[in-house]
Amino acid sequence: MSATWSYILRRALYLIPVLLGVCFLIFVLFNVVAGDPAALLLGKHASASQIEEVREQLGLNQPLYMQYFDVVKSAFTFDFGRSWATKQQISSMIAQGAIPSLAVTLPGFFLATVVSILLSVVVAYYRGKGIDLFIRILTIGMMSISSLVYIMVFQWLFAFKLGLFEISGFEFGFPEVMPYISLPIIIWVVLSLGPDVRFYRTLILDEMYQDYVRTARAKGLSEKAILLKHVLRNAMIPILTYTVVQLPFLLLGSILLESFFSIPGLGNMVINALNSSDFPVLKAITVLSAVAYIVFTLVQDVLYTIVDPRVKLN
Amino acid sequence: MIRKLLPLAHLGMGLMVMGFVSCTKSKNVNEKSLHITVQSRIKGMDPINTGDTYSSTEVARVYEGLLQYHYLKRPYELEPNLAESMPEVSDDGLTYTFKLKKGVMFHDNKCFEGGKGRELTAEDVVFSIMRLADPRNNAIGWWILDGKVVGLNEWRDEQKKLNKTNYSAKVEGLKAVDKYTVQFKLTEEFPQFLYALPMSYTMIVAKEAVDFYGEEFLNNPVGTGPFMTDTFTQSTKIVYKKNPKYRKEVYPSEGMPEDKEKGLLDDAGKTLPLAEKIVVHIQPESQPRWLAFEKGKTDFLTIPKDNFQSVVTPGKTITDAYAKKGIELQINPDLDVTYISFNHENELFKNNVKLKQAMSLAYNNVRANELFYNNRGILAQTPIPPGIQGYDKNYVNPYMAYDLEKAKKLLAEAGYPKGKGLPVITYDTASSTVQRQMGEYFKKQMAEIGINVDVVTNTWPQLTEKVHKRKTMTYGMAWLGDYPDAENFLQLLYGPNSSPGPNGSNFNDPGFNKLFKKATKMQPSPERAKLYMEMAQKYSEKVPWILGVHRTSFVVKHGWLKNYKFSTFNYGNSKYFDVDLEVKKKNIEKL
Repeated sequence: MSATWSYILRRALYLIPVLLGVCFLIFVLFNVVAGDPAALLLGKHASASQIEEVREQLGLNQPLYMQYFDVVKSAFTFDFGRSWATKQQISSMIAQGAIPSLAVTLPGFFLATVVSILLSVVVAYYRGKGIDLFIRILTIGMMSISSLVYIMVFQWLFAFKLGLFEISGFEFGFPEVMPYISLPIIIWVVLSLGPDVRFYRTLILDEMYQDYVRTARAKGLSEKAILLKHVLRNAMIPILTYTVVQLPFLLLGSILLESFFSIPGLGNMVINALNSSDFPVLKAITVLSAVAYIVFTLVQDVLYTIVDPRVKLN
Repeated sequence: MIRKLLPLAHLGMGLMVMGFVSCTKSKNVNEKSLHITVQSRIKGMDPINTGDTYSSTEVARVYEGLLQYHYLKRPYELEPNLAESMPEVSDDGLTYTFKLKKGVMFHDNKCFEGGKGRELTAEDVVFSIMRLADPRNNAIGWWILDGKVVGLNEWRDEQKKLNKTNYSAKVEGLKAVDKYTVQFKLTEEFPQFLYALPMSYTMIVAKEAVDFYGEEFLNNPVGTGPFMTDTFTQSTKIVYKKNPKYRKEVYPSEGMPEDKEKGLLDDAGKTLPLAEKIVVHIQPESQPRWLAFEKGKTDFLTIPKDNFQSVVTPGKTITDAYAKKGIELQINPDLDVTYISFNHENELFKNNVKLKQAMSLAYNNVRANELFYNNRGILAQTPIPPGIQGYDKNYVNPYMAYDLEKAKKLLAEAGYPKGKGLPVITYDTASSTVQRQMGEYFKKQMAEIGINVDVVTNTWPQLTEKVHKRKTMTYGMAWLGDYPDAENFLQLLYGPNSSPGPNGSNFNDPGFNKLFKKATKMQPSPERAKLYMEMAQKYSEKVPWILGVHRTSFVVKHGWLKNYKFSTFNYGNSKYFDVDLEVKKKNIEKL
């Protein structure tokens, strides 16, 4: 156990160099690529003198090392201050946006994963038969259609024509929120099915040709037992690798779903911040994503030890 | 593993089914609530920082200014709002004295003693204007008074040296003469000053609220307006309720001749606001915006480009299918102009009028109007749009015609026969699909006379920066009027306003500058109208821009929404709207 903890501690310490690197990258990118935030803030009537004043206030006239130091400081204290463009507190912007984003992405992700794994087990079981071929063709077909088409057609058909869901909007509270988020969740699942089923099918089929499967067959185990007890268990490691790294990004929501369904999530926050050179918001999102990524890869490592007792953290 | 997950999957499916069960028919047919759609998230509710039309409109439901635009009269006309009457102007045109209405109360709010809103006084006006000038606030709206009020810029500079803004200092040109009288003294004659007063930037706030909420003031609006809201959050829905203590204001009894027959005067003399509640839905995408309108979930909407042909007939009336549903169409000119600007700092365009004229002649604006505006724009001949003094509907700009032969001839005279010797001209544009298409169209048009154009797409920040730093050759832009005066359009060509100011073309003609200076000091009069007209025409022929169109707004509304009249300056207009519940109950069944 102590080896595990020291491993976790060591991995947590990795955060420091990673954060320093992330800060450096985003700082350089921002200074090279982004437009002048002061001019953007003041809009079409900006005067040279007022632009200068705003630059001064935002700290853009300070020496570059001082500006970099500020970036590092906020990354380690998690105090991101206020957005330049909206003047809103960034921590509350994120807190208010995270719940609606997760309300769509978490159930969507969960359902998509469960359904895809189930489907891929089925097609693996019937590999090479009609149903396998049908699902393979179907998933390729589904993947070749743009996500925008699904969103627009589903919204028009299920919400507008059939009136099964609200067209757009959001309510805080359960179950009031359901008519608003059900359709985006369904679309999320549909969009994920194509790539996910194909991916999981490959993973499971890879396992099917391993020696232990032949051994199990030789010992007379039923195909069903082999698939569910042995193959799936062994396929869990790559499945975990694939799913857990996606979790931190669920927080950021889906930009398209959020704007089509008027969900007040974080998806649009990044776009708006890019469009107004809103550095504090970009910084906050980047730093938080980096931290979440590291935390979730750590969770992933711990989960490995659970699904495969041979894996040890040291 | 799978078996363990199954119950959870069932739960998930179960939750979704609940989504199906819920009925999505509009429920609020018994409440006089307005449902309004907005395209963009609202940044915050601080009047001095409402840089975009969306935030200005929201702020103006809660806050009010000294003046407002008459709801029905066109051309736009100013009338008192918090002021009791129009100001008294001194003979030299420099001093404006306003009498305030008595008994105007701020909304009840915990920032006030005992939670009860107090009466608005002249001191509040002074405070609100100083707040706009406070360098610590870096207000987006500061330009509207920058350099205009005696002593205000000096006060602003003074505050930069202090640790904390001193609001008790006296400013010569901004005085509370007594409890209900406020006086502005201008640095020079500037009749457009009055247009600053219905704008959201100068709306009146209470010092108690600013002090109490500090940095969170932008989320806690406390005004004097007809509607109020609790704490504001940057969500996709904002709900306002009627201010129960709103002073006695009534619906106007005068309007345009056609207003009577349209029923816009039926509610004359009724106490405002007419609706009980406003629900603002933020819908960035056009499809859900349109579907929600069609389902009756919102009351009115500017028709999205993609739905245009199904709703509007070629004769510009509403199609039968929609008319049957009780949907009505309103067509109104917007106060704006689109254009392709030359950068006159660039040696190529600096002194070569003929080159610019040739390019303008090679640009088929009629076709552009069809392609990009559903043929609903009015072709611009000068920067001044219809509906304001200085617009001349009979004038035709000779360089706005599409004439390739003449263009080729002028190009040769400019020193570049068939485009020979001319470097590749860059055209900078923002990156949206339509804007890129406009760039490609410009490129194609110029190719016809042998000019090579390279279309450069930019993010909005990059484009703004390039224009500010004078790094473009040509770029596409549009200007939406801040107020209904030609000065607001002609200032785009005034030399001293060059980049980073609003004159991104950096056009600097001493003759134009002199006339502009003269015109801005003139009170509204036929002489001024004539001067505006002459300068607009004379200098448009020097082609500082290739002119585009004045856009027209096509709005559809449901029959149950009463008293809706389009306005470019719609601040505070929701107090006039009403919902006819009988009609709503009937019409909603047809949707």
